[in-house]
Amino acid sequence: MSDTALEATGLGKRFGRRGGWALRDAAFRLPAGRVCALVGPNGAGKSTLLALAAGLLPPTEGRLTVLGGTPAGARARVGFVAQDKPLYPQLTVAETLRMGADLNPERWDAATAEQVVAGGDLDPRSRIRSLSGGQRTRVALALALGKRPELLLLDEPMADLDPLARHELMGTLMAEAAQYGTTIVMSSHVVAELEDSCDHLLLAGSGRIRLAGEIDDLLAAHLRVSGAAESTDLSAHTVVESRVTGRQLTALIRPAGPLPGDLRTSVPSLEELVLAHLRNPGAPALSAAPAVTQGSAA
Amino acid sequence: MSAALQGLPRTVLRLHRTALLVWAAVVAGLTGWLVYLNEVTAAATRRAERACAHTDVCIDSFDRFDYGTTVGWIGTLICYTFLAVAAFAGGALVGRELESGTARLAWTQGVTPVRWLTAKLALPAVAVAAGGLTLVLAFRWGWSAGEDLIPVTHWYQSDIIVARGPLTVAYGLCALAVGALAALLLRRTLAALGAAFAAMWLLNFLLTRYRADLWPAITRTSGRSIELPDNAWRVNSGRNADGYFAVYHPASHFWPLQWVETGIVLAAAALTTAAAYAVLRRRAA
Repeated sequence: MSDTALEATGLGKRFGRRGGWALRDAAFRLPAGRVCALVGPNGAGKSTLLALAAGLLPPTEGRLTVLGGTPAGARARVGFVAQDKPLYPQLTVAETLRMGADLNPERWDAATAEQVVAGGDLDPRSRIRSLSGGQRTRVALALALGKRPELLLLDEPMADLDPLARHELMGTLMAEAAQYGTTIVMSSHVVAELEDSCDHLLLAGSGRIRLAGEIDDLLAAHLRVSGAAESTDLSAHTVVESRVTGRQLTALIRPAGPLPGDLRTSVPSLEELVLAHLRNPGAPALSAAPAVTQGSAA
Repeated sequence: MSAALQGLPRTVLRLHRTALLVWAAVVAGLTGWLVYLNEVTAAATRRAERACAHTDVCIDSFDRFDYGTTVGWIGTLICYTFLAVAAFAGGALVGRELESGTARLAWTQGVTPVRWLTAKLALPAVAVAAGGLTLVLAFRWGWSAGEDLIPVTHWYQSDIIVARGPLTVAYGLCALAVGALAALLLRRTLAALGAAFAAMWLLNFLLTRYRADLWPAITRTSGRSIELPDNAWRVNSGRNADGYFAVYHPASHFWPLQWVETGIVLAAAALTTAAAYAVLRRRAA
């Protein structure tokens, strides 16, 4: 088993020959066993990245390694829930789960799948077309969890859920990750939704991966500083964002050495970090992942 | 891996059981209608014919006309089942899955896109072939049992020639492949349904138009006007400087014509299937 769940080098995807790039120059490494938040505004390339990882789209350029192999080769070990939670409307809930068993003969864990469905008080005999959005999400998650994946890709999984169900299903996912060491990647455009549960971050913005790494490492690599506007020189450091209000300068920087002593510094919140990078697309990307260990096995 | 092959067909059957039931009902209905016509109404029609022989004016011959027309209609329905197959394949079978994203659901359940398409084509192909064969055999039986009562319909009529041979099955299989290709290219249910329907109609239209050229016809010339054999398909005839001429297919050309066209349609089906797999491989990793 590979210690790397996902590894991208120069990964790009363009739709159509003259279409725009949905994703370009993506390079990052996601170690196995992490719970990773894939954050970014709408149209940032999140869904494209997840579809590439699920083996649903061929990349236009570059390479993506999934669980140590090709995305297509890892298909049986990867679970995927698409944003619109597609399910067969003519089947019942029970038939949908039976389909999961039929299509994943060696891996299917009926107990887990039934437990996820049972948590929502769903009648197994009701048709998928009669379910609400949240109930469909639950069935889609049950299908993905039932195949006992090593890597679980979830595209905006919680969008349709009420707070109670969101809390409960997040708990189920975290328990799954803890018990089986499942790597989970879930996308959202709301940072707060994922902050508590995730330990790894991929920030996508306009088709690029802007930040990649352990959330703690990323936060530690940045500082919020403020000081007098005329006397502060930050040119030695990487400035992600800086703003002058009156004679006061506030900035988010990646310090490259010791800072002048008269600056007030604080550790930014994850939301501040994400927003500063999204507001300033010119800021250089940062990959704070552990050194690339391609080919090494755990 | 091999165990999934047992599960995938079951899933495909469960997904399309309504279509399968409708198809079975159509096959059973048309077969039953032919049986009814021959076992119940044909005898009555013949009795009326015999009664007619003793009178000068016979209004009962309308019965005979009715019987022939009805058999002709059944032949038309059997022939054009391939249009329904094309609509089904482009729409419900493949197009809807690509439009709604459920194809991606299957592809992330450990089934490769290639195996998914194979199951989606192979199982309906079995149903189309078995149903088509049943319809053709039933129609051939009905046709020969009541041939004396069919004055208005001929073997070379465009739909009857299809309904009386393997062409029915060949067109059905081709329609499946065309529907799948249209759906993979357009990825929209209604657009693929329409495109598959139109493409199959066009293929049938062109082959019908040039059907007489698919096997060498017999040309006869004579100084006097020509009497063609019974049941001959007159392709061309008239009078030129050398005298009278007639180009025709005798009834014995039914099978050569049938097999050549079947070969063409099956070749089209094979090419379309290959194209569908090529499109799928390019679209999905």
